[in-house]
Amino acid sequence: MLNVYEAQAANKRKSALIIGLFILFVTLSVYVISQAMGVYFGYEPGGLGVAGIALIISGLITFVSYYASDKIVLSISGARPADRKRDFNFYTVAENLSIATGIPKPKLYVIEDSAPNAFATGRDPDHAVVCATTGLLQKLSRTELEGVIAHELSHIKNYDTRLMSVVAVLVGMVALLGDIFLRISFRGGRSDRRGSEASAIFLLLGIVFAILSPIIAQLIQLAVSRRREFFADSSSVAITRQPSGLISALEKIAKDHEPLEAANKATAHLYIVNPFKEKGHGAVDWFASLFNTHPPVPQRIAALRKMA
Amino acid sequence: MPYILIGIGAILVLWFISTYNFFVSSKARIKAAVQEIGNQLKRQADLIPNLESSVKGYLAHEKGIFEKLTEARKAIASAVDSGNVQKMADAGAKLAAVLPSIKIAVEDNPELKGSDVVARLMDELRDTADKIMYARRLVIDLTADYNVRRVTMPSSIMANLFKIEELPGLITPSEGEHLKVSEEETKTPKVKL
Repeated sequence: MLNVYEAQAANKRKSALIIGLFILFVTLSVYVISQAMGVYFGYEPGGLGVAGIALIISGLITFVSYYASDKIVLSISGARPADRKRDFNFYTVAENLSIATGIPKPKLYVIEDSAPNAFATGRDPDHAVVCATTGLLQKLSRTELEGVIAHELSHIKNYDTRLMSVVAVLVGMVALLGDIFLRISFRGGRSDRRGSEASAIFLLLGIVFAILSPIIAQLIQLAVSRRREFFADSSSVAITRQPSGLISALEKIAKDHEPLEAANKATAHLYIVNPFKEKGHGAVDWFASLFNTHPPVPQRIAALRKMA
Repeated sequence: MPYILIGIGAILVLWFISTYNFFVSSKARIKAAVQEIGNQLKRQADLIPNLESSVKGYLAHEKGIFEKLTEARKAIASAVDSGNVQKMADAGAKLAAVLPSIKIAVEDNPELKGSDVVARLMDELRDTADKIMYARRLVIDLTADYNVRRVTMPSSIMANLFKIEELPGLITPSEGEHLKVSEEETKTPKVKL
């Protein structure tokens, strides 16, 4: 039995551990692949130069989506701004919980869709957006809504959009680097390479890493995303002190089998519950769960029950 | 070797500064959070005359309630002006005590219960009470954070060095009825309709 403070601390620790592992892995892959490239080019820093270029390209792509995340997501989802009178519970709950967390009230939007779901985005608390579907607002009671909105505000307060953007830049870099390496190595490279044993090992390792690292990096990225969901759940309870609200909200959202039309693969990770609904059982389920952006709802509910 | 020493020194200085800054900025934030409670109480006091006038027509015979409301509102205004947290809390409690009697008055008037005006009144009342509760929650959380850092290692070294004092947060008696459970309360309540 963990109390809410211990749950928070444990989530922070695990989150830091996964992120540390991720950075370690990215550094290792970049090192190995650039060493292998060095063997191809015949001089040492060649590979690192390519790694730098890959970082810049990946950074530029992600920077746009990071900097303008609030606007992009909203234009994709087709949302309208929330109105205090029309969306009284949503508006006032968000206002109240912002008081409790000590962040400015985020911009609030409503998506006209009967599938209950919600998401938060924005690069920092000053540019944050919380968006809810009309289905969510109709189906949840005020207490349940408080749990959901507190979860979203926790994402904002913990700078999750920023964290996930940085992780995405690094995953993109590893993928690009592996791609570049595989392309040049298939073209044959130079024939006058000195065949020392160390360079042969690096070449072999380089090919293995170039193929596997992008996948592994992505898997760790998803693990980070799932850990942040647990973290936001426990932070939500720390704000509302009512685990029952979030628990019954999650149950209601998970039970609803209507797919969210406004969601797509690019925005799926933002929502409080995966908008595509996970299914499947047994070993396949476990394997599939590695590729999920969200932990399964029953697991989240079990973690919340422990805090109650 | 000298570089290592310089490095360690630099880390120590940074830690020193950030810990000191944590304590002083927390203190400022807690002060701001207390003002937020006052701000919300003031909002409540300003809101009530509007709500009053919206239902007054329906509840003309419940004069006593409105007198109590006006009294509570005045108490809040003067407490907020004085800036004393304890006074603010007392005034807030005075107001909270009147609200149930409004509810009862509404429930006694079936023709009132269904009307939109009253539904909105109830929503607004819940919202204003929530706002004050959450403003208090922020004070509690910030002071808890501050007080924990004050006594745990290694930040406690700094706290002792600069004589950082413990902050009370929301003042609650640490003994009394609210920490006891009576025989009556241990029974599961049965609701008869």
